[in-house]
Amino acid sequence: MVGEEHVSMIPIAPNNVWRAKVNGRAQEILAPSNAILLDVLRDKVGCLGVKRGCDMGTCGCCAVLIDGEPRLSCLTMANECVGSDIISVEGLSNGAHLAPIQQCFAECGGSQCGFCTPGFLISSQALLDKNSNPTDSEIATAIEGNLCRCTGYQQIIQSIQSAAAIHRGDESPAKPASDAHSDPHPSGPE
Amino acid sequence: MTDGYVQQPGSSKDVRVDGKRVAGKMSFNPPGSGGSRPEMAERDLDFIPEVEGGREAQPAGHHLHDKYRTGTTVGKRTPLVDGNAKVTGQAWYGDDVRLANEIIGRIVRSPHHYAKVKSIDTSKAEALPGVLAVSTGADAPQRFGVLPVTKDEHAMAVEKVRHVGDLVACVAAIDEATAREAAALIEVEYEVLDAVHDPKKGLLDVDDPIHWRGQYHIGSTNVQKRVFQEFGDRSKLEQARATHHGKWKFMGVNHGFTEPHAVVAHWDPNGRLQLYTPQQVPHYAHRALATVLDVPMHQVNVIRTFVGGGFGGKSDPFPHEMCAAILARKAGRPVRITFDREEVFWVNRGRHPSHIEVQLFADDDARISGFEIDALIDGGGFASFGHVTSYYNGVLATAPYELGSFHYTGARVWTNKPASGAMRGHGAVNTRCAIEVGMDDLAEKLQVDPIDLRLANLLPPHSKTITGFRITSNGMRQALERVREGSDWDSKFRQLPLGKGIGIGCGFFISGSGLPIHWDPNKFPHATVHIQIDMDGGVTVHTGAADIGQGSTTAVAQVVAEVLALPLEMIHVRSHESDTSPVDLGSYSSRVTFMNANAAITAALDVREQLLDAASEILDVPAKLLILNDRRIYNKKDPAVGTSYLQALHKSQEDKGALIASGAYRTPPMGGVHKGAAAGLAPAYSFSAYVAEVEVDVDTGLIKCTDVWAAHDCGKALNPLAVEGQIIGSCHMGLGQVLSEQMVYGRTGHLQNPNLLDYKIPSVHEMPNVTPIIIESCDPEGPFGAKEAGEGPLLPILPAVVNAVYDAIGIRVNDLPLTPDKVWAAISKKMKREDIADAQDLPVPRIDFSELQAKIAKRSTEHNDRDGRRQRSEDTDPYINGVLFGFDPSIPPEDQDGDWKISVRPDSGQLESLGLAGSAWTKIEQRKMEDGK
Ligand code: FES
Ligand code: FES
Repeated sequence: MVGEEHVSMIPIAPNNVWRAKVNGRAQEILAPSNAILLDVLRDKVGCLGVKRGCDMGTCGCCAVLIDGEPRLSCLTMANECVGSDIISVEGLSNGAHLAPIQQCFAECGGSQCGFCTPGFLISSQALLDKNSNPTDSEIATAIEGNLCRCTGYQQIIQSIQSAAAIHRGDESPAKPASDAHSDPHPSGPE
Repeated sequence: MTDGYVQQPGSSKDVRVDGKRVAGKMSFNPPGSGGSRPEMAERDLDFIPEVEGGREAQPAGHHLHDKYRTGTTVGKRTPLVDGNAKVTGQAWYGDDVRLANEIIGRIVRSPHHYAKVKSIDTSKAEALPGVLAVSTGADAPQRFGVLPVTKDEHAMAVEKVRHVGDLVACVAAIDEATAREAAALIEVEYEVLDAVHDPKKGLLDVDDPIHWRGQYHIGSTNVQKRVFQEFGDRSKLEQARATHHGKWKFMGVNHGFTEPHAVVAHWDPNGRLQLYTPQQVPHYAHRALATVLDVPMHQVNVIRTFVGGGFGGKSDPFPHEMCAAILARKAGRPVRITFDREEVFWVNRGRHPSHIEVQLFADDDARISGFEIDALIDGGGFASFGHVTSYYNGVLATAPYELGSFHYTGARVWTNKPASGAMRGHGAVNTRCAIEVGMDDLAEKLQVDPIDLRLANLLPPHSKTITGFRITSNGMRQALERVREGSDWDSKFRQLPLGKGIGIGCGFFISGSGLPIHWDPNKFPHATVHIQIDMDGGVTVHTGAADIGQGSTTAVAQVVAEVLALPLEMIHVRSHESDTSPVDLGSYSSRVTFMNANAAITAALDVREQLLDAASEILDVPAKLLILNDRRIYNKKDPAVGTSYLQALHKSQEDKGALIASGAYRTPPMGGVHKGAAAGLAPAYSFSAYVAEVEVDVDTGLIKCTDVWAAHDCGKALNPLAVEGQIIGSCHMGLGQVLSEQMVYGRTGHLQNPNLLDYKIPSVHEMPNVTPIIIESCDPEGPFGAKEAGEGPLLPILPAVVNAVYDAIGIRVNDLPLTPDKVWAAISKKMKREDIADAQDLPVPRIDFSELQAKIAKRSTEHNDRDGRRQRSEDTDPYINGVLFGFDPSIPPEDQDGDWKISVRPDSGQLESLGLAGSAWTKIEQRKMEDGK
């Protein structure tokens, strides 16, 4: 590089107002017109639960639901989803209660280090929204874009199956023998 | 008997009995405080050992800690205590730490493999608006390194860069774009040097070795460490009935954790450094930071964030941690540095690329008369844990089999690649694969079943290996038997059609390293845990154990909950900050459950005693008659006489306020006296056996592993849910190494796949169906009998798959990973050699048992009895490796037989005959040069 003319790498994209609904709340944010959705979500909206594992669409940690579809936010321009309804891991729970999928991941070993978990939760929620009676291979297809280095996927599949059972209403989730309450705000028997 | 105990306000429902309001006025119901259960739970007899009157079976005998079991949580499938933080997105990893006023740091990395840094011009970067700090190696001349004997790293290059991606300078600016721009404006002048890429070349003398170790330098080579070990009687090897010779090549493997490294450094208003980092071993980072920044350790607070996977890759102190601290000090603002995925591959510390040669010998009785191992390991640009790796490649092969002799030569060389380091199964994985495949081949040549061959050559519980490791509990035999049964081995082995195969592999791993590398284990413990309970009854546990997803926080909480009979939600583990956690070596060498849980039990027992004394005073019942159960302490003989946990707690707090206790763990004295005897020494060892079934497409060479039966001896599963998770996860990681993962260095030495697209980690579709089988051998010194389950389970999957591939197509490929191109090349070579036109006509291996099969079956039945008695401690006589060869079990063989050798240096006559790595011994250390020795 010595002696060569240096070309600036600072992007000079103009700032735009970015409008979308994130986890049920309308956002109006000033962001460069070429901003990546992952950056906007993490750095501007404050959704730090959306993880950056690779920045190139290979790990699935950054998945979010855009209008109900699971998408990789690291490969999505923020501008593409102006006006969309975006749900990140922070928006999955039902008020103070964990969503069934969250509860089952916590209880069935679906999460070890937890870094891949937000992405898996999004992919599996998207599946369960359409199909509450998935086969193991349908589950595998739904999470094939998500990489987990800790669990070997098996307990993740079990977690999703037990969440599916709750969605169908046929079972209460597989209760572990211990009494540690997975839902921080258990709603009681009613 | 005491008066009724008044509950905390609001802790019970408004209950009326006979029209009278009784809530809050009952004598002990609901007892204690906290928890979400309104009533006291009954003792869970299913989880109380038989010897204590419960119903938990104890096939492996009683344990020291049995009497402290309360049936609360140990042995139950327990979700991770921090699971809710993870599923809600609230777990804070490195890059999630956002401090007010933060700025962003970037690192300038070397584009050359090996070069002298002649000059660095930072002026343009400094002049760029928005840049707040720039730093180069001149700012941090102090060396550091994870092992005190090999401090060979700098925060940034001081004189040379040693691999592409090595750190040269760093910048901090108001935002990422400006920081990147500034990094590009730094002008570095290099003088490119001759790089070494091939580890074999690392053995040669060169003009400019990658590091210079002064008088300890070996010749002028790039050999960082060499090891020679010779144990036993090698003269018998010539008479072997069967021999195996394997020459292996293993590619480098990266940890591939999902969270890239990230660090936040902040000098607080009092001038103390607060450093947030996802570290497995915050204590090493703490030490290194103090050295490099030249501040006392007490002026640094290392805050471990949640760790998004470690597997050994986050255990070195890292230069970027120093860079962040230096930049933050210069700029006076918090600095955050987050890695790209590519940078993760530049720091690497993954599994060493290796050339390993093994020879195995079996005699006429199908005894293993010798293992000969030669391992040349490619360390990359820095030492990292290399000293230890060099030993582990050999010494961790000395069990589970009883050996007639053991000979190991190893060398780790520096090359101009990103440094290799510790990765799950540290140092043991590659050699284990070669050895277990060798065992399979020996069985083939002896015409016996490979499982029976192993069963007839196992070291028993409570024995000593050939190099002097003390084995306590040992569940190897049960593990082999369970996978044989589970996989229906006897009706599949050598009977499946072409393209389908089944294979076996075993594993052996340390449960904690016996030697804390920074201090004398007799002068300071390995692990310390503090417990503190205040008026509210909640238990705060301080530990330095670093939870990296394996669940160490949960394990520590569990053992405290178990001893004190409190619900898990009353235990709060604080393990993030070095300011509050006692010094601890963190999460590596599978030490956490063994050492920290032991320390936690000791501390909890102290608290227990104080509570029982107080209860005894309240109830006027001797403490030894009292039973702790779910927030209540009562008389064993008359359960109606009791007091609540809170009441006893408050009684014991009368004079001192909060209850405080501290517990520590230290390894017992053990091991031999030869040089290197401490390497591989551990207070306990884990054992495992896997059977894998594969399908091989003979027309493409594609291998699919379909089923795995995975038995692992973890002593006692404190939390079966987590143990199973570790087993399955280990399978996944090992399967990656054997089938698809490799760091590919091209012809010019460049790493070609530093990303997760080209570096192929198995996805959900490649995962076989794993049946985890937990073996509980009840370790006498483990917490409630537990040993490790995090690393050992990885070892057996590699050889099990390689052996299954042989069973399927009759071909052994000794070059991992077994990618379709290599497998197909081997298939077509064989077709050419044997003149086979269609791959579908390949011969499949079959077996006819020889007369030895009956002989070894008989021996293993005898050993089965022997091992059972020893496991239950009915037979506690010493057993030293060599008994199978006719020696007295109580006297070391070297005292019985003149030919039995123990040597850690080759004698001059041996130098000629040493293998590839062994040839490092032909070089002379600098300090011995003058006298020509
Ligand atoms: S960060 Fe988006 S897929 Fe990895
Ligand atoms: S839980 Fe660690 S990567 Fe999936």
